[in-house]
Amino acid sequence: MTDFTPRPAQSQILAYTGGKMGISAVPGSGKTHTLSALAAQVIRSGALADEQEVLIVTLVNSAVDNFSARIKEFLALPMPFGYRVRTLHGLAHDIVREKPSAAGLEDRFSIIDEREADFIRKEAANAWLQSHASNLNDYLLTDMDEGKRDWVRRQQLPDLVTNIAMAFIRSAKDNRLTPDKIRNLLDRSPAPLPLAAMGLEIYTDYQRALTYRGAVDFDDLIRLALDLLEHDTEFLERLRYRWPYILEDEAQDSSKLQEDILRLLAGPGGNWVRVGDPNQAIFETFTTASPQHLIDFVHEEGVQYRELPDSGRCQPSIISLANQLIEWVNREHPESEARDALTVPYIQATAPDDPQPNPPDNPDGVRLIGKKYAPEEEVEAVAKSVAKWLPEHQDSTVAILVPRNQRGVEVIEALKKRGIPFVELLGSTSSTRLASGRLGDVLACLADPQSAAKLSKAYLAWRRGGEEEAADGELHRQASGLLRKCAEVETFTAPHPGHEWLADIGSGDVPAEIVAELEEFQRIVRRWQGTTLLPIDQMILTLAQDLFTAPHDLALAHKLALVLRQAADDHSEWRLPELTGELGVIARNERRFLGFSEDDSGFDPSRHAGKVVVTTMHKAKGLEWDRVYLMSANNYDFPSAQPNDRYISERWFIRDGLNLEAETLAQLEALGTSSEFEWYAEGQATGQARLGYVRERLRLLYVGITRAKKELVITWNTGRTGEQTPAIPLVALQGWWEENKK
Amino acid sequence: MKLTRDQRSIIKSPLDGKTFLSGPAGCGKTTAGVGRLRALLTSGLPADSVLILTPQRTLQAPYERVLRGPETGPGGTVTLATVGGLARRMCDLFWPLAAEAAGFAHPGQPPVFLTLETAQYYMARIVRPLLDDGFFESVTIDRNRLYSQILDNLNKAAAVGFPHTEIGPRLDSAWYGDPAQRRVYADAQECATRFRQYCLEHNLLDFSLQLDIFWNLLWRAPECRGYLTRQYRHLIYDNVEEDIPVAHDFVMDWLREFQSALIIFDEDAGYRRFLGADPESALRLADLCETHAELTESFVASPEIQSLEIAFTEKILPRSPTPPLPLSSSLNALAFPPSETPTRFYPQMLDWVAGEIQRLTAEENVPPSEIVVLAPYLSDTLRFSLTNRLEERGIPWRSHRPSRSLRDEPASHCLLTLAALAHPGWNVRPAKFDAAYALLFAIDGMDLVRAQLLAEIVYRQRDFRLSTFDEIRPEVQERITFVFGQRYDRLRAWIEAYRQQPAPDPLDHFLRRLFGEALSQKGFGFHRNPDAARTAASLVESIQKFRVAMEPALADFRSLGDFGSLEIGKEYLAMLQDGVIAAQYVEAWQMEETDAVLLAPAHTFLMMNRPAKIQFWLDAGSGGWWERLFQPLTQPYVLSRAWTQREPGTLWTDADEVAANQQTLARLVTGLLRRCGERVYLGLSDLGESGFEQRGPLLKAIWKMQMENRNTDEQA
Repeated sequence: MTDFTPRPAQSQILAYTGGKMGISAVPGSGKTHTLSALAAQVIRSGALADEQEVLIVTLVNSAVDNFSARIKEFLALPMPFGYRVRTLHGLAHDIVREKPSAAGLEDRFSIIDEREADFIRKEAANAWLQSHASNLNDYLLTDMDEGKRDWVRRQQLPDLVTNIAMAFIRSAKDNRLTPDKIRNLLDRSPAPLPLAAMGLEIYTDYQRALTYRGAVDFDDLIRLALDLLEHDTEFLERLRYRWPYILEDEAQDSSKLQEDILRLLAGPGGNWVRVGDPNQAIFETFTTASPQHLIDFVHEEGVQYRELPDSGRCQPSIISLANQLIEWVNREHPESEARDALTVPYIQATAPDDPQPNPPDNPDGVRLIGKKYAPEEEVEAVAKSVAKWLPEHQDSTVAILVPRNQRGVEVIEALKKRGIPFVELLGSTSSTRLASGRLGDVLACLADPQSAAKLSKAYLAWRRGGEEEAADGELHRQASGLLRKCAEVETFTAPHPGHEWLADIGSGDVPAEIVAELEEFQRIVRRWQGTTLLPIDQMILTLAQDLFTAPHDLALAHKLALVLRQAADDHSEWRLPELTGELGVIARNERRFLGFSEDDSGFDPSRHAGKVVVTTMHKAKGLEWDRVYLMSANNYDFPSAQPNDRYISERWFIRDGLNLEAETLAQLEALGTSSEFEWYAEGQATGQARLGYVRERLRLLYVGITRAKKELVITWNTGRTGEQTPAIPLVALQGWWEENKK
Repeated sequence: MKLTRDQRSIIKSPLDGKTFLSGPAGCGKTTAGVGRLRALLTSGLPADSVLILTPQRTLQAPYERVLRGPETGPGGTVTLATVGGLARRMCDLFWPLAAEAAGFAHPGQPPVFLTLETAQYYMARIVRPLLDDGFFESVTIDRNRLYSQILDNLNKAAAVGFPHTEIGPRLDSAWYGDPAQRRVYADAQECATRFRQYCLEHNLLDFSLQLDIFWNLLWRAPECRGYLTRQYRHLIYDNVEEDIPVAHDFVMDWLREFQSALIIFDEDAGYRRFLGADPESALRLADLCETHAELTESFVASPEIQSLEIAFTEKILPRSPTPPLPLSSSLNALAFPPSETPTRFYPQMLDWVAGEIQRLTAEENVPPSEIVVLAPYLSDTLRFSLTNRLEERGIPWRSHRPSRSLRDEPASHCLLTLAALAHPGWNVRPAKFDAAYALLFAIDGMDLVRAQLLAEIVYRQRDFRLSTFDEIRPEVQERITFVFGQRYDRLRAWIEAYRQQPAPDPLDHFLRRLFGEALSQKGFGFHRNPDAARTAASLVESIQKFRVAMEPALADFRSLGDFGSLEIGKEYLAMLQDGVIAAQYVEAWQMEETDAVLLAPAHTFLMMNRPAKIQFWLDAGSGGWWERLFQPLTQPYVLSRAWTQREPGTLWTDADEVAANQQTLARLVTGLLRRCGERVYLGLSDLGESGFEQRGPLLKAIWKMQMENRNTDEQA
């Protein structure tokens, strides 16, 4: 067992023996460690029978591995005996997988992921727009001329309707409303609800598309798991016996259904420990997730309440800044209804003899920049600052946190220009997709063997391994450029006397090393062509030997081979082009579970010392760096419900500043109510959504601040229109900081 | 072979006595049975009075070896049969007797016996239109699995002995989940009823009907019964626990008329329950035998393996109080990937397995035939991955079943594409892609790019037109090369000439000609490719079998107007493509390979009834060791004989499911270990083949043993 000397607050939690417990933890308070220790303690206590397990439910895959590793260390066991760590989706999958039939599914049901779901929603939304061209006219700004209206319809509405559809479908599923149920409610509705009617039509189409694919989406999986638990009491009893202890992490982001599932599994007198930090609830928009679930839980009768307020992560100045943000929000936020966005406990520094002491106090490490930057100036200033800092801090970690992916892309461009080493963590790359993309490039080349462009792409897939340009990038670039120009591919892949492309270019001015490179590729590509007559699974496994060396890539290839073989058996008319297309679809479907992506083992900032990590504030949750830049702290990304604030969800072309997503959900909600006082009133939901957004962004700022261990730099910009002002909380912190520093 | 005293006394038991022999696997029961056969043969009685019954043909192998040897005496040959086989023979022999009584529409015409594949074919023809009418709407299921499950239901009704009209109601009455499922059972019943009706109208006999007719009609007719009882006087019935209840009923009824009988029962077995095996029913045979013998001592398993078996069973089916167990010694018989070997991912585990097999054969001198690699399911992908690794290491291997389907063979692809091209009348239009692949394979030396280029130019899918090489633009001709152009023209000319024939040949004849007159000639792909030639021969054989089975019936259907202008060749093609016909065949080298590592699903290995020193269990974490395959249209327990003895309206609950699964796992592990000489290697990876973490009950049982052992160590 590892050395773990719990702090007093942690000891209180480890004194747990049973029942329900709710814990409020501050950032960096070691909640994962404490929860892992608690799991290990339960297992070691002998409270479990052989077939029982402590069930640990957490938010993301990286946390799953993290928990498993720690418990394993505590128990010093070679196997994960006595516990099971799952995300909610993983748990729902476990439950449904045990009884697919009872959930109306086949043995090999498939699960589509967000990308595929997004694709289907887009299709459905476009189809709806096509056939209901004028339905949204009433919501468009009235003073637009016809040309502009038309442009909006073509360019803006598809995205907006897709977003509305996503919110509607998710919310409907969270509330366990099937298209049928909604239709019934809508038929009985006393007044027309056009947005809900639109949502319903798209939802119906979407579900039909899923059924056609024999698939469910992630929200269905959770809904089906809950259905099963509610309908099969024997099964529920069996699971209750199997998991007599449930430990839930990140409970502030728990959705209504997650709470319902865990409540059922725990049972009336069950053992259920929920840990979370309501101040870090940042995944709530348009879901039923809410920190309120956790807050309500700790107030339930019989629930023991504990706090984990000590954190060794940040230096004292940063801690005071974060605590000041809580205090300011609670007391002085200009919008009184937003004052509950953050809550105590305050963060406390650890005791001096703590094994994880805070970094020494350094007030100069906190820099709240008041300077008014244009967006591109802000990027430049940050890039310049980090360029100056980095060479002297090669062993330290640093991150630039942005509110949105697009902003991150701009930052990366600036870093590239200055030759600053960086690591991108923006969600647009994943090793899973890289690997399947490479395989896809090679298959596409074999499906269309006469194409020089595809041959060239396949070459790069083989050579570059999907990485950014390496040291011999120039060689690869030249070789692929030559291949792209090979007009008659057969003179390269299967030359005959007099038609030998390689010999021809070799006698020209192409350097010998490139000819040698292409000769090697020629051998490879011939071998690949030989595989085209094999069944698809054997083909993929054979190609994978040439393409991959990393174990997780080879494992992915094995899985893809298995699934494509199934697809080929199911569709005997499919040939390579169709199967290549399917590869793309399948590859995207597997990411939510533990799996083949290296990313799933979690991102470890300490492995990237000397490089700049660029990521969003959302993705930064759970991570920490020595130095952190927070960008774009203006009133657009962090509004405060003030008259001059603009909101991202309120489109300029929609009349009365309506937030149509929020209005649609309000119409859906109205369907479920019978009280006329709760009936839908236009505009109310937009106002509520503003408040919700203001609250969530305050928490996001708090999360951003608490990522920094030693140094923190916050900047803002004037936005695209040049009209944005610094975020009010930033201004408030600045004032307090200046005051305090003196 | 040296026999024990017990074995000798069984073998030498009198020629007018009946013995019921029981005992666990691996203690020499079949050896005694084989000895008994030898004794019968050398005793001077006529060989053709001896009947050997087993539930499955693979179990006859040890007896076949004797019959191929010098012991075979005078007086004809011993009959080796299954009850199903016997039923078929009797239906054939006594057809006139059965035809009318069973209600066949054309008793004057001969019967057509259906194989599993041809039965699936007819089932497909019946069910397909119903699917369009909304049958089975609420289940998402592969069509071939749909057909086979309906047939399976019919077979279970016949095997257990209840009317086929009760399938749906029985399934329905035990169901307690989502009410939508009830509709599925009703649909399944309707399809079964229609199929049976169809068979009666067209003189078709599937397995269920053969069994039904034999047991309910022929066996009760003095002619048939007299024929059998006069013919056979001595019975050896091995592995009775794996047979179906109706087979037991039949043998029980017959037993007193035999002069001698040896009935062999394997304890704790019953691996074919999913196919209707019923060990409890088999035990009834014991009551009719005057002598009961028991063999208990294992010739196969080492003491460590034997204690491992006990430990395992304890973990899977705990009985209280748990007896103290020498766990450490039994754990010695279990080998894991060492901790320094990375096994997070599935292929890493396969690397370890292949490496370990190499080490065993090279360093420990274990003959490859003493090594088996088992998994709950053996996907084609897994098999390919593993055999690739073994081949790289020069280790011979063989697989439990013919390893390839003709559907997957490039050679048969090529032949069937050319067949479709030669028969425009079928109206099967190969895609350009297929035409290119056919040219790639058919023309010696051809490459993928040129094949595609050629196919795109010369082949017009719309009207099957194949233009000549001459018609191509000169610069493209040059790209394709004139050598390939000429070869293409020869092939094209052959196809054109065939198209001009007044009437098409049967498909198998066509392929013989195509092969003989064109493809095996110099310049073509089959000329220097013996593997392809063998595939061609297998394909021809498979088509011929299909034609023979279908032709009489089809001729009849044509006259009835049921199937219109039906072409057997085209039907074969469609069925092969849909996977209704698996058309698997054994590669020649594979049959010859005896000293080879065997790869098989665990259940299949059990039914081979042979031991091995070393067993590898892959996917130890898979739920597949435990749970039954989810089959939405059928349910082996509810359709068993034992279920009929429950109160009417009893539901199949979650607890029943769990209990049944535990029994299955315990039986499986016991069966495997009793067939294991020295060691079990566990193939474990953190993430399974599909990338999910797996922790099925087998793995948990293993963990429990490890934990217990650890605790004992700590206490010590």
